[in-house]
Amino acid sequence: MLLDVKNLAVSYGKNPNPTIVGVSFDLNDGEILAIVGESGSGKTTVIRAILNVLPGGGRVSDGSIVFEGKNLLELDAGGWRNLRGKNISMIFQDSGNMMNPVHTIGKQFVEYIQVHSDLDKKSARAVAIEKLELMNLPNPENILNSYTFELSGGMRQRVGIAMAITFQPKLLLADEPTSALDVTTQAQIVGELMFITRGSGAAMIIVTHNIGVASYLADNLMVMSGGRVVEYGKTADVINRPQAAYTKTLLASVPEIGGRRYV
Amino acid sequence: MSEMILSVEHLTKKFPVSGGRFLTACDDISLNVRKGETVAVVGESGCGKTTLLKAIMNMQKPTSGKILFHGEDITQLTGEAKRQNYRHIQMVFQDPTAAFNPKMKIRDIVCEPLLNFDLISASDVDTKARELLTQVDLPADFVSRYPHNMSGGQRQRVAIARALALEPEIIACDEATSALDVSVQDTIIKLLVKLQREKGITYIFICHDMALVSLFSHRVAVMYLGNMMEKLDGDKLNGARHPYTQALLKAVFSTDQAKNQYIGILPGDIPSPLDIPSGCPFQNRCEYCRARCQSEKPAFRELEPNHFVACHYPL
Repeated sequence: MLLDVKNLAVSYGKNPNPTIVGVSFDLNDGEILAIVGESGSGKTTVIRAILNVLPGGGRVSDGSIVFEGKNLLELDAGGWRNLRGKNISMIFQDSGNMMNPVHTIGKQFVEYIQVHSDLDKKSARAVAIEKLELMNLPNPENILNSYTFELSGGMRQRVGIAMAITFQPKLLLADEPTSALDVTTQAQIVGELMFITRGSGAAMIIVTHNIGVASYLADNLMVMSGGRVVEYGKTADVINRPQAAYTKTLLASVPEIGGRRYV
Repeated sequence: MSEMILSVEHLTKKFPVSGGRFLTACDDISLNVRKGETVAVVGESGCGKTTLLKAIMNMQKPTSGKILFHGEDITQLTGEAKRQNYRHIQMVFQDPTAAFNPKMKIRDIVCEPLLNFDLISASDVDTKARELLTQVDLPADFVSRYPHNMSGGQRQRVAIARALALEPEIIACDEATSALDVSVQDTIIKLLVKLQREKGITYIFICHDMALVSLFSHRVAVMYLGNMMEKLDGDKLNGARHPYTQALLKAVFSTDQAKNQYIGILPGDIPSPLDIPSGCPFQNRCEYCRARCQSEKPAFRELEPNHFVACHYPL
């Protein structure tokens, strides 16, 4: 088992009531788990807790997160540095925001590679180019010399994914990776995520509010509402035979082409 | 069929850019809107759908072409006549958080258009605001709240209430539900449809989600790089004949695993609107592209009644 999360609870600031409570799931090598739910349901908090990057004042107040037999909650700063980027990495909603707009993408990509390895600048750049090519980005040299605002949303997201997969992490955490994109670009990126995880055997947790994307990608599906897990199981079971009333309403509100019409 | 309320005729909008060049945001767009119907304009970002909407709202003067509202060209209106015309065409924006002044209470927000046109006196504001909130299924005592005290869906209802205040004939929605969760999106669409039945409002709905559009639109217009690619009835989307429309349909992920087998990936990015290829604008991403598509721009023609396509070789 790659990742085992048990009874996780996260609280923010001085608020005694935890934001998420009793979240348990596990993940094997190469598995894809999708977490779906509405905004404010705590789905992003779950994956941020795994990487210990909760926003200000957030802390795990209960439960355990075990990754490859190690309890992540006991790691010190050095331990996290070894883990992040190399073993677990994250893809954000808009990878453009994750990068510094006043430095070129190349500078940041090379820096990121050098922090986690002993490569010199030249070979780090070669690795960066190789990873960008893997993401079907044309002209990677050019992209390394550009700034984030010079790229389209889809290209930025590909750069973010290229960075995340550089060290072939065992676990990818993707926080709404396609929500800011057009439908056609979304289909491209989802296809690429599928290709990468299936190709490299990486496991992935994808947080999304697009239930269609979740059901296309994921082996397992977790539905969250109000900081609790409403339903968790094999994707096909959850979609075809939802048990919880909340899941049923959620599924019923997904528009389908050729489905019901209101007019 | 009901009467024509708005017709856009050969609308072209060019923006000057550096180097004496022009960016063509809308190229010879024509669109007819009938009373009480919903017309959806679909396309990726950068396809000119917002420019089209701004022209219809009379917020931007087109380079050429006409917009006829009840037969009168509204692009030629000036001064007070132009201001009065705003009463009939109102708008709902994408981001309900950015659409309001955070320091105004809901009561003042929804009644501001009425006060602007001297339709009610200040003493009637509270009563009128309560009435408007009830129409959009919000509790009437929300009138004394501020926008930040509400959820995104509730704010979008307030935005709809404000658009309804002047009893307009047309409401233009610019991606009005794309910032919302699916379940909230569903309730907002139901509300829009209910209001349409009660009041005969016409909607121009800008969106990039084909599945959403298929729920409630009477007519669908598909745009790409400033050009109209296809116009068809909302209940006949599966019969779309343009390769781009088909690509948009294939890009929708469904909860039905069987349908997801047909997900098709459209390669490449939308080209820069500054160098639109000669010939068909969609040529470099189209899997059916032939020699003729690269040299000759396809005419927008009627393949069957009410179904227009700009493609040399429709599917």
